[in-house]
Amino acid sequence: MQFKEENPSSITKADIVIGIPSFNEASNIAYPTMQAALGLKEHFGEMASVIINCDNNSVDGTCDAFMNTDTLGIPKMCLTTHRGIRGKGNNLRNLFRKILELEARAVIVIDANLKSITPLWIKNLGEPLFKDFAFVAPIYVRHKYDGTITSNIAYPLTRCLYGRRVRQPIGGDFGISGKMAGIFMKSPLWEEDVSQSGIDIWMTTIAMNEGVPICQAFMGKPKAQKPKDPSLVPGPMFKQIVSTIFNLMIAYHEKWASTKWSKPTAIFGFGIGEVEAPPVVKVSKERLYTRFREGFNTNWDLYRSLFSSENLQKVREIASLDIDHFEMPVPVWARILFDCSISYSKKVMDRARLIEVLIPLYYGMTLSFVNKTEGMSSQQAEEYLEDMCLVFEQSKPYLVYRWNQ
Amino acid sequence: MPKVLIVDDEKHIRLLYAEELEEEGYEVALASDGVGILERIGKEKPDVVILDIKMVSSNGLDVLQEIRNKFYNLPVILCSAYGSYKVDIKSIAADAYVVKSSDLTELKKKIAQVLETCVPTKE
Repeated sequence: MQFKEENPSSITKADIVIGIPSFNEASNIAYPTMQAALGLKEHFGEMASVIINCDNNSVDGTCDAFMNTDTLGIPKMCLTTHRGIRGKGNNLRNLFRKILELEARAVIVIDANLKSITPLWIKNLGEPLFKDFAFVAPIYVRHKYDGTITSNIAYPLTRCLYGRRVRQPIGGDFGISGKMAGIFMKSPLWEEDVSQSGIDIWMTTIAMNEGVPICQAFMGKPKAQKPKDPSLVPGPMFKQIVSTIFNLMIAYHEKWASTKWSKPTAIFGFGIGEVEAPPVVKVSKERLYTRFREGFNTNWDLYRSLFSSENLQKVREIASLDIDHFEMPVPVWARILFDCSISYSKKVMDRARLIEVLIPLYYGMTLSFVNKTEGMSSQQAEEYLEDMCLVFEQSKPYLVYRWNQ
Repeated sequence: MPKVLIVDDEKHIRLLYAEELEEEGYEVALASDGVGILERIGKEKPDVVILDIKMVSSNGLDVLQEIRNKFYNLPVILCSAYGSYKVDIKSIAADAYVVKSSDLTELKKKIAQVLETCVPTKE
């Protein structure tokens, strides 16, 4: 067995499952669990449903807190990894196994620490799955500086690579069909970073490459989580996400090399009414600038082995700009990411080290994004991001050419 | 010969677009509103749809959702006199958004682009 199971209602079949992955979320898990139950009752009341907590063997009693939550008669189940096995990806893999056993048609996954979830999230993530969509990604209202890994890397890169415009490819909350869970379970592309935070971009990328119909569901309320200044150290999540993107580029080389421009997805979840404004994310431009400059000076020799001579010259030029005029032109940033992916695939240096030396340049790109958009509304910043994505798409022949060299 | 279905409630726009696009070598079909659009698409089998937003009998953004839910990969270009609908979340389901102009260069460029778009599809 890959997990320990608590199934007091002896559930063996379900039409719809809500999965809540967790690690030490005893104080938070009751709220999203209650909202999930309300959502199931209100919008999927005729269906056999179950709520599953897939947990990383928490030591704070997360599973007990979940099991003790009133779910209005909807049965609950808890799957726990064995001691020492951590990571959201491992939790979701256990969930996928269980979904296949239960022969569920639809699965909704929500984070265990959600504070702003409403029953409508369950409806919007779930309903498209009964209308032939196989993968539902969320669209949240986010502050323009919330989620800079998404804005500067994950969204433009996956969009230009695989041609599908999924705005929150690492959103965390999502819906999948039972068949899609089967595809994830059978995928040979599983590796350690996917077991951790790489799981979200991994699922989105596989769904894109399978060519299944994808829908983006509007959540209405912002995803309430502690806003993080993007100048702070991004932590292991950065490495897990970026190396998952680069590993999948190796696996799906033939697919992305023949992909040109991009297409939209279907959209679901209108008529929510007035949308709440997201919390403001403060950014320290000075810290972004300092971290960029320090990283540039420390890693210059390594950059010489990573980048094409033309790109290297541009990076050197950018490093000479003062903070107020600082700008990372988008074509240069696209080629930096392309060059890094190529060096990663060719193992030009230790792969973990390569991702580390990319971080200062990511700070530089974030500072450039802030300088460009600080006078803009969130909507204007969103349009700027769309233009960035077009530049990535236009720059893609460079990647295809250099990858094949 | 790629076929373009133009959905617009203004006759002179339909005729202008038809003339210019036929000159470019496209086959053109015309519809004066979005009512019954799914049947029309099923019958005409266009390669791309040019869709107005503000029409007398239908809202192009709602028509777009109908098209996208039924014909997931069919290219749709929103073509409106107003740029303001670009901020409406419903417009994300379009392949492109063009603000109407007597100069059709931008529209023609977008038509060519959506027709050469190639993405992974279900095998």
